[in-house]
This record gives sequence, C-alpha cells and structure tokens, in this order.
Amino acid sequence: MPRPAVAILEAALRARKLDRTLTTALPSLERTDPSALVSTGVAALDACLRGGVPRGQLSEIAGPRSSGRMTLLLQLIAAAARRGEIAALVDTFDRFDVASACAAGVDLDRLLWIRGQAITRPQGSGLRPQGGHGPASLLERTVDRALKALNLVLQAGGFGVVAIDLADVPLVALKVIPFITWLRVQRTVEGSDTACVLVVPEPLARSAGGVTLTLGAAPQWAGSSDRSRRLAGLDLTTRVVSPRRRVQGEVVIKAQSSRLKAQDSTIGPWALSLVP
Amino acid sequence: MVGALYAAEDTPPDVLLEVAREFSPRLEVCGPREIVLDLAGLARLFGNAHTIAAELRRTAADRELRVRVAIAGTRTAARVLVHHYAGITVVDPGEEAAALSPLPLALLAAASSAPNSQFPTPDGLLTTLRQWGLRTLGEFAALPPDEVAARLGQEGVVWQRLASGEDPRPLLPAVPEERFEQTFDLEWPIDGLEPLSFVLGRLMEPLSEHLERRDRGAAVLHVRLHLVKTDGVTPTVHERSLQLPTPIRDARTLRTLALLDLESHPPSAAIDRVVVAVDPTPGRVIQFSLLTRPLPSPEQVSTLLARLAALMGEGRCGSPVAVDSWQPGAFGMKPFAPRDSNVLHPPWPVEAEVVANPAIALRRFRFPVPARVRVDAGKPARVTTDRPGLGGGRVEACGGPWRTSGGWWSSSDDDLRVSASPRPVGVTGVPWDRDEWDVTLNDGATYRVFRERDADHWLVEGIVD
Repeated sequence: MPRPAVAILEAALRARKLDRTLTTALPSLERTDPSALVSTGVAALDACLRGGVPRGQLSEIAGPRSSGRMTLLLQLIAAAARRGEIAALVDTFDRFDVASACAAGVDLDRLLWIRGQAITRPQGSGLRPQGGHGPASLLERTVDRALKALNLVLQAGGFGVVAIDLADVPLVALKVIPFITWLRVQRTVEGSDTACVLVVPEPLARSAGGVTLTLGAAPQWAGSSDRSRRLAGLDLTTRVVSPRRRVQGEVVIKAQSSRLKAQDSTIGPWALSLVP
Repeated sequence: MVGALYAAEDTPPDVLLEVAREFSPRLEVCGPREIVLDLAGLARLFGNAHTIAAELRRTAADRELRVRVAIAGTRTAARVLVHHYAGITVVDPGEEAAALSPLPLALLAAASSAPNSQFPTPDGLLTTLRQWGLRTLGEFAALPPDEVAARLGQEGVVWQRLASGEDPRPLLPAVPEERFEQTFDLEWPIDGLEPLSFVLGRLMEPLSEHLERRDRGAAVLHVRLHLVKTDGVTPTVHERSLQLPTPIRDARTLRTLALLDLESHPPSAAIDRVVVAVDPTPGRVIQFSLLTRPLPSPEQVSTLLARLAALMGEGRCGSPVAVDSWQPGAFGMKPFAPRDSNVLHPPWPVEAEVVANPAIALRRFRFPVPARVRVDAGKPARVTTDRPGLGGGRVEACGGPWRTSGGWWSSSDDDLRVSASPRPVGVTGVPWDRDEWDVTLNDGATYRVFRERDADHWLVEGIVD
C-alpha cells in the first residue's frame, strides 16, 4: 500500500479512535448512576465500593473457611430483596442455612434456592486421573450441574443478584474448570441488570469489570470465664480489588453472632440453655 | 323477531338445542324444555313467520320431537304464548300486548322462569293481584304504572311490563363450549423427543392463536401420546397434565414446558398420535410499574423452574421456608412465586436498608459429618474428621455447651432408636437431644459441633462463615 494511503488510513483510525484498545489503557468503567450498582447491604463496604457491586458484571467473594463469605452473600441477597428485586442462589453442595438467612433479614419469598447435591463421602479430590477419559466423578457432575443451573438463571434474566456458592469445592477441582467458562458467564450477564457473584475460596474469574472482595476473619469470643465464653462474632477484613473500576481498599466489618443478637433483642425465646 | 320452542314432552336437551341451532346461532336456553332463538333475517331465507314456524316444527318432527312454536316481536311475548298455546302461534311485531291481554295471570311465572332470571317466582304477587280481582294479563297491564309502583314498588312495574310483553333485558345468546384441542396423526411412528418437538410446535401454534382469539390462557396443559401397540393388541396412551402457575398462551413456552416434562417422564414406546389440549381460563391483566424493576414474567419463571427441575431434580428448586420448629436446620420448600413489591410501602423500613453489624451465617452440612472429639475438663480439646478437605486440629477457643432437645413427643419407638449413621437435618419431626459447641480450631476456622446425647456421637453441624 502506498505510504500516503497508509497515513490517511492511520489518521482516520485515530480520528474514530478505532485503535484505542491497542494504544491506550482500557477505559474506566466508573459509572455515576447508582442504579448500576447493587448495594452489599453493609454500609462501610458500600462506601468503599462507591455504591456497591456492579450490575452486568461478574464479581467474586473469595476467602478461606470461616472468613465471612456466606455472611456477606446473605447481606447482598437481603439488600436485593429489600429493594424489591429477586435473587437466586445456586447452592452447589446444599449448604444454605435457612435460619441464618432469616437472621440476616432475607425475604425468603424473593429468593430462588437451587439446591445441589450434598456429597457425604467425597473420595480424594473427586477428580478423574490426569488424562483419564472415564465417567465424570460425582464431584465433577455436581459442579457441572451447578454451573449449568447458573447459566440457565442468568439467561432467564430478571434477577437482581445471582450467586453461585463454590466455596466448598476443592481448589484442585475449581482449577480444572476451563477459564472460558467464566468468560462465558461474563458474556451472559453483560448488559443485564443482574449482578453475578461467585463465592469461591480463592479469586478465580478475575473479571475486569467486576469487583473482587477478598475476605479474612478473626473470631471474637465474649465472656471472661470458660463457662460464660461464647462466640460473639467475626471481624471480617474485606479487601476490595477492582483495577478497572478504580476502587481499592480495606474494610473491617464486625459481624455479630445471631445467638448474641437473640439475647440482646426480644425476639425468641430460643430453646437453648447453657449447661453449667 | 323472536321465536320460542317448547318441547311437549321430556326430551334430551341436546336434541332441542340441535333443532334450534339449525336455524339460528343466537339462542338462549330457558329451561330443559324451552329455548328462545333470534329469528331476525330468516324471513329472506324461509319466507314469512308462519313458514319459519312450520319449518321449525318439521325439523323437530324429523328428530321425533313434538314442539310448540311461538313467534313474536319480543322474547317475553313469545315465551308466554308458547306456554299457553299448542301448535304454532305467530304474533306480528307491535301486537304483543293485545295478544297477551286475554291470557291468565299465572303465565307470568312462565315469563320469569329461566336459569339466569333476575326475578323471583311471583307467587306473592299473583296472590295480591287475584285479591285485587285481576284475572288476565291485560287487566294487570291496563293499571296505571304509578299506582302499581306506589303499591308494589319498582318490582311491580317490571312485572307489569312483562305482562304487556316487553322484554326486561336483551337476549343473551348461549355460547357453545369451545374445546381447545389439537390432534396430529402421524403417518410413521416417531421415537424420541427431538422429532416430537416439531410436532408439538405445529400443534401449539394454532392452539395459541385460538386462545388469543378468545382472550383465554391455558390453566392446565394436557399432552396425550398414543403409543404404538407393543403387543400388537393393547393400545397405550401416555398422558401428562401440567398445572401452569399462571394462564399462559405463548406457543413456545407451552411447547418447552411440555418437552421438559416429557424429558422427565418419557413415553415407553414410539408415538403414532399426538393430542394437545388445554383447560382455558380468562387471560391476565398486567399493570406494570414505573417505580420498580419488572420481575420476570410468569412464563419465564415457569420455563426456568421446569428447566432447573429437569437439571437438578424434582423438589430441589424453589423458595426456602422457615418452619415453626426449634429443630436445628429445619426448613421447608415451596414453589418460587415472587410477589410484586411496593416501593411506596416496603416491607422493611427504608433506614434498615444497610446494616453496620450483620449477623454471622452458618454453612450447614445437610448430613452432619461424624467427628472424633477429645474432651479435656469437660470441653472439646481436639476435633478430627475423616472428611477430606475438612481439616481438624487443636481447639483454640470454644463456647458451650448449648443443650437442645425436642421431637421426642411426636415420634415412634423406631425413630427413638439410636442410629449409628448421621441423620439428615432439615427433616422435621425427627427427635433430637444434643449439646452444641462453637469451636475455633488452630486452622483458623470456626465450626459448630454437637454431641448426640443418646448415642454419644460427635458430629460437625456446620462452619461459621
């Protein structure tokens, strides 16, 4: 191609900014419209996230065992129900506790609970041997079904929050899920009003448009003596990571035990007694 | 011009209806032996009213039915006349009052006897009129209406109009009961759901159009598959009925729901005839809101739930329900049917939208995990399990025991037997008696463990998360 023609073409490209993705950084997804964000239901976290978790994006709640993942997820679902929206939870291993949801203030009528299979005796990692072509293990089938259910719910649309609980899936089983799976989920949810949330032991999807909440927690005990000691709550340290949305920070949330809450308030009575 | 048919003897109601339908689609059934039909326009086809009446009698006679026929300008006059005169009676329009005038007052009861009549039986009225010395309809019709109203009320005026042959309301044509059904006979039997989906699609579209024309939706969808005779003799019918949560008439939705149900309950042999029928119900009226986000339509929810049920299994998708029980982990399930929200009157106060201190949640094992617990000085000191990935370790801190028991009053002796295997939680009515502990292990995780007091088993109930 003659040089003047190339110059004209390059000028035209620059004018229409068609080469922007190649020559400049990705544009910020910062949006001022509050309706584009889903409140997490926790004031301090919302302030850090500048409103909440983005709609139409894939976000993650990641953390080890007892780091407050389910606590945060229930707050997210409860906040969605309070706004009049409906939420769906794909519960891969059927670990959802209805009493905890009630304590978190979840309107159960507005929650679609998709119960996976409670695996009682997983063998090893539950995976096929490397390079094996045998029948899929129970664990693989359960995770596969959960991902298909997530896809069905996202395709149906109309949900404010759709979450999948993969927190108890062994890390080695999560690593073998092709990365294209998360890209496909991202594509499905893109442009919709749904905030899709993964609950995982480690950041997995790392979606550019979503946020990653990395949790850590320290249990807090109340009571001075052995006999009066009881679990007071968890101090959740939430680290927010979202480079493209330019929100980053760390928040400490004090989650309170529902038993203490029950003692502090007048709801009850609870049929529990401390045995001397 | 209105005609009245009155069967002289008890007959099957369908026969009289068939005779009437041969002459007019606009007819009203007034009783098991009486039908009123609109004859407007029939004069150009048959001739004058006498010819029409004769033709009606002849058609009835062909079906071995003897009928009286009366034709008049009003429905009331025709009905009164057909009750009084045998054979054929024809009154020219405008002459009804004169024709009814000499007839006895008792015929007023005939004018009011109909399944949907708004008038009560005029027994009390007839007694009053007889006490006044009135004997015929004409004498009653000749009374001054204002005097009748002063003595008998507005109802008396209505009866007076009936006596002069006036209609209190227009004719209400009986609409024949429509069947919303489509059938397809296959030249060659088909096997499998994929070819069946095309057949169902072909059947659902005209069915959906029919429902739309009548402003109806399907409340129940029936799919009848006539299967090939496997033994060569006995025909088999595979029938499925789907209760739809809301009236639906979208062809694609109906086809998808039928196919998803057939995936779960497939026919046992090849199909040679497909019948699809629906129970119709009035269509929905939807009012959308400018203030709230729209919920998915009932069609979308139904399809989604059917797909999820096919994937995850029956009863594994829905809304959780908190049951009235103290049993740990007790819950119920119900179909997911979100109600419309009202932003102006939310169920919670607006200021409660965000919380500062959320309640911690439990990640519950539906089947509690058996554990080995070493107890020192009455407290758990070490917890280990055989579950891979569910670690164990030294107890760093613990709280408890919280003792709960229940369910023993409603269970049989079999239930009370000590079971070696862990019982699933969430099933109400199962007895329990246990001591709960919250323990934080040296791996940093906090668990809820409990000891079954009757069996002295330790189990992990869940993880505080």
